Amino acid sequence: MLIFAVLFPMAAGALFPLFRFKEDKSRGLYVMAVVLITSAVALPQIILGTAAREILFQITETLPIAFRLDGVGRIFAGIVAVLWPLSSLYALEYMQHEKNLDAFFSFYTICFGVTLGIACASNLMTLYLFYELMTLITLPLVMHGGSQRSVRAGLKYLYYSIGGAALAFIGLVYVIYYGGTTEFAYGGVSVFTAGQTEHNMRIGYLICFFGFGVKAAVFPLHDWLPDASVAPTPVTALLHAVAVVKSGVFAIIRITWFTFAPALLAGTFAQYIPLALCVFTIVYGCTMALKEQNLKRRLAYSTVSNLSYILFGALLMTSQGLRGGLMHMVYHAVMKITLFLCAGVYLQKGVEYVQDMRGLHRAMPVATAVFALGSLAMTGIPPLLGFGSKWALAEAAVFEGGLLPVAGIVALVISATLTAFYLIIPSVSTYVSRGVKAYAPGELSSGWKALSPLLIISLVMMFFSFWPMLLTDFITYAAAGGL
Amino acid sequence: MSLVQNFPFFSIFLCIFGGVVTSVLNKKAARRVTLCISAIVFLMSATVWHYTLSATGSYSFMMGHFPAPFGNEIRIGRLEAVMATLFSFIMFMTLLSGLFNLDNHAQPQKQNLFFVMVDLSLAALLVMLYTNDLFTAYVFIEIMTIASCALIMVRQNGHTLVSATRYMIMNLLASGITLLGISMLYGITGHLLMPQLKQAVSVIHQRGLYSVPLTVVVLLLTVGLSIKSALFPFHSWAPDAYGNAPPVSAAILSGLVSKGYIFLLIKIFYRVIGMDVVRSQHILEVLFVFGIAGMLIGSVSAVRQRDIRRMVAYSSVAQIGYVFMGIGMGTAAGTAAALFHMVAHAAAKPVLFISSAALTDASGDHKRFHFLHGAGYRCKAAGVSFSITAMSMVGIPLTAGFISKVRLSLAGMVLPDAYRFAVLFTLAISTLLNAVYFLHTVVSVYRKASPEAQQAVPCPLHPMTLQSKVSLVILALLTLILGVLSGPVMQSIFAGLRSFS
Amino acid sequence: MNGFLMVVALVLPVLAGLMVGFVPQIGLHRKTRSIFVGAALALQCLIVVLIALGGEKTVVILHLSENLPIALRSDTLGVIFSLIMTAMWTASAFFAFSYMTHEKNEKTYYAFFMMTLGVLMALCFAATLVTMYLFFEAVTLLSLELVLHERTKESIAASIKYLIYSVAGATMGLLGIFFLVPNTTSSYFVLGGSLNVEALTVAPSALLGVLFLTIVGFSTKAGMFPMHGWLPTAHPVAPSPASAVLSGVITKAGVICVIRVIYYSVGVEFLRGTWVQMALLTLATVTVFMGSMMALNESLLKKRLAFSSVSQVSYILCGLFLFDRTALTGALLHVIFHALIKDGLFLFAGAVIFKTGYTYVDQLKGLGRKMPVVFLCFTILSLGLIGIPPTGGFISKWYIAEGAIAGLSHFPVPVFTWLVPAILLISALLTAGYLLPVSITGFFSQPDEEASQAKLNEVCEPCRLMTVPLIILTLAVVFLGVFPNLMIDIFDSLAALLV
Repeated sequence: MLIFAVLFPMAAGALFPLFRFKEDKSRGLYVMAVVLITSAVALPQIILGTAAREILFQITETLPIAFRLDGVGRIFAGIVAVLWPLSSLYALEYMQHEKNLDAFFSFYTICFGVTLGIACASNLMTLYLFYELMTLITLPLVMHGGSQRSVRAGLKYLYYSIGGAALAFIGLVYVIYYGGTTEFAYGGVSVFTAGQTEHNMRIGYLICFFGFGVKAAVFPLHDWLPDASVAPTPVTALLHAVAVVKSGVFAIIRITWFTFAPALLAGTFAQYIPLALCVFTIVYGCTMALKEQNLKRRLAYSTVSNLSYILFGALLMTSQGLRGGLMHMVYHAVMKITLFLCAGVYLQKGVEYVQDMRGLHRAMPVATAVFALGSLAMTGIPPLLGFGSKWALAEAAVFEGGLLPVAGIVALVISATLTAFYLIIPSVSTYVSRGVKAYAPGELSSGWKALSPLLIISLVMMFFSFWPMLLTDFITYAAAGGL
Repeated sequence: MSLVQNFPFFSIFLCIFGGVVTSVLNKKAARRVTLCISAIVFLMSATVWHYTLSATGSYSFMMGHFPAPFGNEIRIGRLEAVMATLFSFIMFMTLLSGLFNLDNHAQPQKQNLFFVMVDLSLAALLVMLYTNDLFTAYVFIEIMTIASCALIMVRQNGHTLVSATRYMIMNLLASGITLLGISMLYGITGHLLMPQLKQAVSVIHQRGLYSVPLTVVVLLLTVGLSIKSALFPFHSWAPDAYGNAPPVSAAILSGLVSKGYIFLLIKIFYRVIGMDVVRSQHILEVLFVFGIAGMLIGSVSAVRQRDIRRMVAYSSVAQIGYVFMGIGMGTAAGTAAALFHMVAHAAAKPVLFISSAALTDASGDHKRFHFLHGAGYRCKAAGVSFSITAMSMVGIPLTAGFISKVRLSLAGMVLPDAYRFAVLFTLAISTLLNAVYFLHTVVSVYRKASPEAQQAVPCPLHPMTLQSKVSLVILALLTLILGVLSGPVMQSIFAGLRSFS
Repeated sequence: MNGFLMVVALVLPVLAGLMVGFVPQIGLHRKTRSIFVGAALALQCLIVVLIALGGEKTVVILHLSENLPIALRSDTLGVIFSLIMTAMWTASAFFAFSYMTHEKNEKTYYAFFMMTLGVLMALCFAATLVTMYLFFEAVTLLSLELVLHERTKESIAASIKYLIYSVAGATMGLLGIFFLVPNTTSSYFVLGGSLNVEALTVAPSALLGVLFLTIVGFSTKAGMFPMHGWLPTAHPVAPSPASAVLSGVITKAGVICVIRVIYYSVGVEFLRGTWVQMALLTLATVTVFMGSMMALNESLLKKRLAFSSVSQVSYILCGLFLFDRTALTGALLHVIFHALIKDGLFLFAGAVIFKTGYTYVDQLKGLGRKMPVVFLCFTILSLGLIGIPPTGGFISKWYIAEGAIAGLSHFPVPVFTWLVPAILLISALLTAGYLLPVSITGFFSQPDEEASQAKLNEVCEPCRLMTVPLIILTLAVVFLGVFPNLMIDIFDSLAALLV
């Protein structure tokens, strides 16, 4: 059934050109049907946890394309399966007045399957395959606008991603050569922890980290992400806040915890170099966000920073740290997608820059309220969502002790402060209408298809803020290796 | 001896005979005959491959009964058989798909000569694969050179003539160098048949006699064949030749002809000189370095091209670099990887040349990228084929290029650290560079052109026929099939290599 | 039962505020709104008193994770602070009923005013560090509107400054919480602290550094140098009743956080004699001196009062950082007295602005004769702040000074032993220097120009809604100054447990 969940949206998306939808309505029904069916098939398996491994085919004897859901995979797949339908609904409203919608939704749906493929990958080869496919499938989505800027942003994304994948490929070769198998196993493939090849394995890991680190936007490989915010908002929201960048982070979690063992890496340069880069990126992303006046680019830099929170947790090499990282992966996906969806609503009504957000509250009461909520959550104001993950990360780091973990905590704190500045201050400004022409109440409100996903996600956010145990128990279990 | 074992000889003979016959036929008949011949050769080679899968080792076949040392002998093992099968299939498909616009490039009355040359090339290719003696090898090297030159010259405009002349000069130079090497080798050993040659060479090497001449021989043979296969730094003729020839010629030349020379070189290393002797000459390190240099310089030059055909041509230079890097590793794994890459490239390059020709035809015959916007929608089959093979060049999983990368990387992992990182990082850089020029082109091809530009595009003079489109797509699919089902091919290569010397 | 009362103390004002904000019938009619708010505040006072009488109870609101409860406890410190805060809030509200009639957008003002009180209550009763942090942030966010109210360019800039400083301070505080929670044996506040000194997960020197940052962070709300920059900008720009609570109450939010961190989590023994204590004392003393000097130079009345707050609250912090029982008692006393006095002083300033529109000190010439009650209250309150017996301020400052001499006797750096009391004394003189001239100008000067003289003739005493709270505050200061013993006993016994 996993194979179905992965392949069905890919096939349905590929068949799009055959249909040539004349009306928006029929296209919308088709898209939603495909997405909902996939989620409906995937979610029971995610929630119940079928551990059976399904092989699609073998590329060579040692390289099968196979799928399996373990704890960590279920978390990522869960995020994707829940958020995609909401984002598709939003996209249907948002893209109403654009051209080439058949091509757009074709790739959008295929991407759903590809992302699930990454989440359900049972071994590094499968993950690598779908990782490369993701780059190719998201490329037309990024370039959808068709302007010079979009094309340039898309090509930049392409080159960075292919370059990253080339480095990740080197890591894949190391794994095949030294381990014989690319299957994921919690705690690392056991043969790596023994023997004289440890130094080589660490080098291989480091190269692999930089490879997957492109999509995870680790400094200095992050530069494609702010430019990619030129894509239509449903693309940026889902792909660059949830699917693409989370795939990068997920891949790094896989190689750190499920391939190259933490026992191999902890306490060596193979841990310190990535960890130091992540700590730097946490602060760097926030600083750049503060300087940025374009709202979507500001959010993109915020993503750069937050992704390194997740990596910081995973790279502490303790299961507590991994727990913190996974929590932030889930929470950040929810919070960031909310913020991007709001930014999209603003953009549609012509508000692109932060200084234009002043006084917007009267014109868009729902969107601005949701944006304010998301800002507070992202900053980490308790009891909202962001606090829980920051706390878990700090807790894990304090238990570790050591220079880099403590530096990481300081970076987290600085980042939280800066986040308040670049998110809360604009949110507050939407409520202050001095110096701006007064809007009529509700003048710029959007339709239900755009607003309902916003509200649903906000409710989800509030729910898990107050009852996080449902998620955190499972995440703790998964971080300790549970299936 | 079973009937099947005769098939290689039949194939060679059929091609030569076909060449002779075609010279008197008119354009249409010539075409049909050539297509038939290549199809039959394919079928026969496939049968031979099937035969060698069950047989053990390879067998020799004497053509004519001249005793040693003057005889002509061919030897057929699993490796030769699988290469012959794949190459003949590719030749067949290339012809089917590439001939649609031959009228653009060659005058109707001259076209039968074109087909003569195609037949002769196929014959020469088969000989390179099968030959077991140096005399035959050299004869057909010459035949191949002349036929290739003619394939380029079939198009009679100024650029092409210059390129063809340059090609001619370089290749004849190379042939001369090769001949020099062969004669020296004959001088030292007194043999022309490969098994006897190997014995003699190993004796010489053990006794330490003629060490300098031996080195010179290896050098000459390597340089000669490397020039012909466009290894850096001898590659300068290739972009002109491939860029200005008719697309189907470029396809055959870069896809198949160059592989024949490389295969011959491998054969000489294994079966004439012996790999241990070759290693002691340190020629492999040089090939390794040139291979890496070719990979990088070929791709860097490709990035700078403004013209799609020259870009594809420079890409060939880069891909040949991959092959020589594999050979230069000096291990069986490395050579096997190089052989697989030869197949992968042979499957992909013709598609790239022919589809780029179709795309430019559909864009008013402009080769420059700006005019190609939207060509992917005007000629869908060509666009799709180009995209698939471009992915293979970049090395996306599920394509043959990915398998090559995996095999080459794994072969590189056993080498000492400096070599290992050279292999891995050069492959990585090359992947990125390939993405820069190939995937950028794919993006350009599928970009929607502005409406005014759309209007200005005239209809192509010779649009692709259905037959061409289908064959092109099938050939592109071969890349995917090799990517997913590489097992049998790799097995044959490995097994064949074991019994190759 | 009382555990639940604390939740009511949190929820009632918040709910009231929301109703004022969203129910038009209440929010938009001045009379209904005033009655509603007044009733809510009266009820709140009652609840807080009941909590005070009910003894120590604990209630858990929710669990953020297995070991992170959001819990409230009505311990002595919480009760003290909640009582004074509610009292001040009520006084300010009644004053505002009259004052805000000249302002716009009253609905939003009262809505946030009430909600801030609710979260302040929860802050006072917070039983764990995380609970405290949660409500500390909430206070910052909700009190933003109080600063922002006028919607002028200055107030918008001031509110951004307030937000930036407060968030920076709060996150510095959060840094410390990250380190303290795994290193203390109890996640609930314990009298005297519960630091697990034997089994620290980080080096003690690192922990010291972190704690320094934490305390400075929480002291931002209290306006200690170097995090004081927002206070003189934000307090004057708010409407006067808001300034009153900002200076009088919300600064104490920072104070209670500092107390909780030092006395209820870390414990004084870990910090005693370390560079952290020295640094903190230095900063506090500098602020005391600097605040008074700036107040002296300032001619804008409300800004002068704001600088005065900077100085006076750092008296309290000074008392806290001495780690001495007497000083702690003095500090707690000064919390009460400063709240009462500063509230009153700002209400005075509000009355003057309401009646005359004058904001500068030298404009107040001769005004005392026209508004004698108001100016008299001001004078008495000033005496309290300076520290002249029998007003309350004298007792608190005396205790702090006594504690300084005693607590610093074994201090590694001897200069502090006499420097700290000296600064306190000098500052008292400076306080006289910047407060008494106001009264003197008011009572004994004549306005220079004819126009001002004419305007003066029209001025009269403000209405009872304004004067009554002011009088009550003044009387309270005097009364508590004359009969302080009950308070002293309670504070002293608490201090004994904490040091």
